[in-house]
Amino acid sequence: MSAQKKKAFQIEAFKHRVVVDPKYAEKTWKILEHAIHEIYNHNASGLSFEELYRNAYNMVLHKFGEKLYSGLVTTMTSHLKAISSSIEAAQGGLFLDELNRKWAEHNKAMQMIRDILMYMDRTFIPNTHKTPVHELGLNLWRDVVIHSSAVQTRLQAILLENVRRERSGEVIDRGLMRSISKMLMDLGPSVYQDDFEKHFLEVSADFYRLESQDFIESCDCGEYLKKAERRLNEEIERVSHYLDAKSEVKITNVVEKEMIENHMHRLVQMENSGLVNMIVDEKYEDLGRMYCLFRRVPNGLVLVRDVMTSYIRDTGKQLVTDPERLKDPVDFVQHLLDLKDKYDKIITSAFSNDKTFQNALNSSFEYFMNLNSRSPEFISLFVDDKLRKGLRGVTEEDVELVLDKVMMLFRYLQEKDVFEKYYKQHLAKRLLSGKTVSEDAERSLIVKLKTECGYQFTSKLEGMFTDMKTSQDTMQGFSARHGADIADGPMLSVQVLTTGSWPTQPITTCNLPAEIRGMCEKFRNYYLGTHTGRRLSWQTNMGTADLKATFGKGQKHELNVSTYQMCVLMLFNNADRLSYKEIEQPTEIPASDLKRCLQSLACVKGKNVLRKEPMSKDIADTDTFLFNDKFTSKFFKVKIGTVAAQRESEPENQETRQRVEEDRKPQIEAAIVRIMKARRVLDHNNIVAEVTKQLQSRFLPNPVVIKKRIESLIEREFLERDKGDRKLYRYLA
Amino acid sequence: MHKLGRGHRDKVQQFMTITGASEKIALQALKASDWHLEGAFDFFYSQPHIKSYTDTTRLEELYNRYKDPYTDMILVDGITLLCNDLQVDPQDIVMLVVSWHMKASTMCEYSKEEFFIGLQALGIDSLEKFGERIPFMRSELKDEQKFHEIYNFAFGWAKEKGQKSLALDTAIGMWQLLFAEKQWPLVDHWCQFLQARHNKAISRDTWSQLLEFARTIDPALSNYDAEGAWPYLIDEFVEYLNENGIIQNGQFGDRSQK
Repeated sequence: MSAQKKKAFQIEAFKHRVVVDPKYAEKTWKILEHAIHEIYNHNASGLSFEELYRNAYNMVLHKFGEKLYSGLVTTMTSHLKAISSSIEAAQGGLFLDELNRKWAEHNKAMQMIRDILMYMDRTFIPNTHKTPVHELGLNLWRDVVIHSSAVQTRLQAILLENVRRERSGEVIDRGLMRSISKMLMDLGPSVYQDDFEKHFLEVSADFYRLESQDFIESCDCGEYLKKAERRLNEEIERVSHYLDAKSEVKITNVVEKEMIENHMHRLVQMENSGLVNMIVDEKYEDLGRMYCLFRRVPNGLVLVRDVMTSYIRDTGKQLVTDPERLKDPVDFVQHLLDLKDKYDKIITSAFSNDKTFQNALNSSFEYFMNLNSRSPEFISLFVDDKLRKGLRGVTEEDVELVLDKVMMLFRYLQEKDVFEKYYKQHLAKRLLSGKTVSEDAERSLIVKLKTECGYQFTSKLEGMFTDMKTSQDTMQGFSARHGADIADGPMLSVQVLTTGSWPTQPITTCNLPAEIRGMCEKFRNYYLGTHTGRRLSWQTNMGTADLKATFGKGQKHELNVSTYQMCVLMLFNNADRLSYKEIEQPTEIPASDLKRCLQSLACVKGKNVLRKEPMSKDIADTDTFLFNDKFTSKFFKVKIGTVAAQRESEPENQETRQRVEEDRKPQIEAAIVRIMKARRVLDHNNIVAEVTKQLQSRFLPNPVVIKKRIESLIEREFLERDKGDRKLYRYLA
Repeated sequence: MHKLGRGHRDKVQQFMTITGASEKIALQALKASDWHLEGAFDFFYSQPHIKSYTDTTRLEELYNRYKDPYTDMILVDGITLLCNDLQVDPQDIVMLVVSWHMKASTMCEYSKEEFFIGLQALGIDSLEKFGERIPFMRSELKDEQKFHEIYNFAFGWAKEKGQKSLALDTAIGMWQLLFAEKQWPLVDHWCQFLQARHNKAISRDTWSQLLEFARTIDPALSNYDAEGAWPYLIDEFVEYLNENGIIQNGQFGDRSQK
C-alpha cells in the first residue's frame, strides 16, 4: 500500500449490519428442518451441532421464534405420522417390538433436537408459555402415535393379551413389557392409567372372578387358599417386573376381592375342609395361610374369629355338660387344659399371636367353663390330685408350668369364692394326711393365688401352713418334756388347728379307746400349760391312726385307718364278734359316719379286716361284725381310711353351695355399705353396678340377692329410701 | 240458713255432707270462697282443724268412762264400750283414723295423753261432738295425702311393741281394711300370694312401698318396670301374677269377685 492521504484512525463500533433478509428466516428454518429430517432418518452424524445451534439461536434472537416453534411442531408431527403408520403395519407379535424401537429412536431424536433448540427452550418458550421441547415431543408422540385409533386399541389389546398369556403359564417378553409401560408412564400418569391400567384391572377382575368360581367348585378350602396365595404372589411379582409400582395395591385389591372376599363365607364354612376342620385336624399351615389372606380383606379376620369363637363355645359347652366326662373331675380338667394348649398353639403358630384372637379364646373359655357350676370344685380336685401324686418326680420348672396353666383356668372362673371353699377343704385333707408331694409346689400355688386375688384370699390358707409348722414345734416340745413317760405308749402326733383358718367342721362325738385317752390328756395338759386362754377340742373325724394287726395265721400287717375306724377296731381286742349296737354304744360315733366307716372295714375287697353277717353290701342296725382272721393282703401296709378328696355327692354339693351363698351375703352387704358411705346418695341401678364391679374378682352377685341385702340394710337402718325419688337410697350415718 | 238463697242453701248442705263439717264452718268456708264449692273445699282442708274450745273437765269425764279400772289407760274393753257408744263397729276403719289423730303407739290401747291429744285436735269433748266428727274423719281417708300418712302410721300402730316387722296375719287384715277404702283391685291376689309364698313378717319398707305400687302401677302392670327398685317381694308378686295367668299379655283378668 502506497502513501495516501492520511485519515484519522478511528475506531468505530462493530457494526454488523443485520441484513433483514426476509428470506433469512425461511432460509434458516430450512436448514433446521433439514436437520430434523436427517435426525429422524438416522443421518445425524453428518450434522454440525454448533452450526445448527447458532441458526436456532439467531432465529430466536431475530424474533422468528414463533416460526421456529411452529415449524418444529409441523415437522415432528409429520414424522410421527409416518412412524405411526409403520408401527401399525407391523404384524402380530412384532407390533410391540416396533413400537418400542421407534419410541427409543424418538427419544434419541428428541434429545438431539432439544439440544439444538436449547436457546429457544430457555427463552422464547417460557416467555410465550409454550410447551417446552421435550414435553412437546412426548405430547406429540402421545397424540399422534399412541392415541391414533389403530395403535391405541391394538396396543391395549396386545398388552392385556400378554398378561393373560402369562397368567396361563406362558412365558412372555417381560423386558419389552417393562419398556412399554415405562413409556406410558413417561407420557403422563393419566396415559398409563387410562390406556392401560384401568383396562388391566377390569380384565383381571373378570379373569379372577371366573377362575375363583372354577376353583371353589373343584377345590377344598386348603387347596383353594394355596391357589389364591399363589396368584396373589404372581401379581405382586408381575408388578415389580414390568408395571408401575402404584399398580401393586390396585391389582392385589382386585385379587383379594375376587378370590377371597367374594368367597369368604363359603370357604370358612366349607364342609370337611373349612376353618373348623382345620382347627380339629391342627392344619397349622393352612390356618396360617387363611389368616394371612383373610387379613387382607375387610372383615376377613372378623369372620374367622367369629366362626372360631362359636366353635370353641359349642364344643366347650358340650364338654362341660357331658355327664360321662364329668364323672372324672381330674380327667375333665386335664381335657380343658389340653384344649387350651391346642388353641394357644393355633393362635401362636398360625394366627401370629393376634391379640384379638387371644381375647376371643379367653372369653369363650370363660363362657363355657362357667356354664357348669361345678367347675371350681373340679379344678380344685385336679390341683389336689397333682399335689398328691401327679407331680411326683417332676422338675421344678415343669411344676411351675402345670401350676401356671391351672391358674389360667382359674382366672376364667366367675365363682372364685366357691373354688376357695373347696381348695381349703382339699388342702386341709392333704396337710393333715401328710400327703402332699412337694411343699414348695403348694406354697408356689398359694403365691400365685395371692398375686391374682389379693392377700385376703390366701391369708387363711397360709394360716393352715403356719399351724402345721407350729404343731411340729409343739410336738417337739411335748416329747422333750414327757419323753420318758410316753416312750412305751402309743405314739401320738397332734396337729393343733386354729379354728378360723381351717374349714369348719361340725363337732362330733367319739369315745376314744382307753389306751389313747391317757396320752391325749397328757398332751392337752401340756398344751394348755403353755398356752393360756385357749380351748382344745379333738377333731375325731379328721384324724388317722396306724395299727399293727396280727391275723389268724400270724400274718402281720400295718393298717392305716381313720380315727373312727381305729376306735371300732380296738373294740375287737376284747371280743371276736360284736353287733352293730355293741359297736355304736361304746364309741358313740354318729350313725351315718359309723356306717360308712364299717362299710370300708367290712365290705371292700382286699380291705376287709372285718367280716359282716349277713354279707350284704349295706350296713344295717342288725348286722354283726367279726374279726376277719383270714384276712390277707400282699402289702404289709394296708390303707383303709378314706381320706383322699373326692368329688362331692349331690346333697353335699347342695350343702356347700348353700354355705357359699350364706358367705356371700355379708360380703355383698359390706360392699353396699362401703359404696354408700362414699357416695351418700345413689340410685338402685348404680348400686347394683358398683357392687358387681367391686365383687367381680370373687364372684358374680345376683341382682336379686343385692336387692334383698339392700332391703335388709334399710330394715336395720343403714340406708333409707329418698322421700322424693323412691329409686334413690341414702346412707344413714 | 233461712236467710240464704236456695242455691246457697244447697251448697251449704252439700258441703256439710261431703266434709262432715258443721254448718257454721260450712258457711265460713263458702263465704271465704265466694260461694264456690271447689274453693270452699280447698279453704276447708287447708285450714288447721278449727279448734273449737274443748272443756278439759269434760274430757276427763269422758276418759274416766272408758279407762281400765286397774291401769291408767284405755284398754280393749274401754275401746269396745266407746265404739258401742258411738255406734261404730270396732273393726271400722274410722277407728284407725281416730288412733292416727291420737298418734297412738299401739293398737287396742290408748294412753291418757294420747286420748287427750287426739280428742283436742279433733275438737271433741263430748260423745255428741265425737259422733259429729265421724263423717269428717271418714272424709279424711279420701284425701290422698292424709291417706298416705294414715297408711304409714298403721304399720307402726299395728305391729307388736318392740318388733321391727309386722306379723303377716295382722298385715293382711290391715291391708284388707285399708284397700277396701282405696279400692286396689289386686289386694286379694296380694294377700293370697303372701300366704302361699312368703309366710313371714312384713318389713316397713315393703309396707310403705306397697302403697306406692298400688298408687302408681296400673292393675294390668303395663307400667311396671322390673328395674324400678321395687322391694323384691313386690317383684316376686309380679312374677306370681304372671305365672298364674292373672296377668296375661298385659291384661288383668280378674278372677276374684270383688
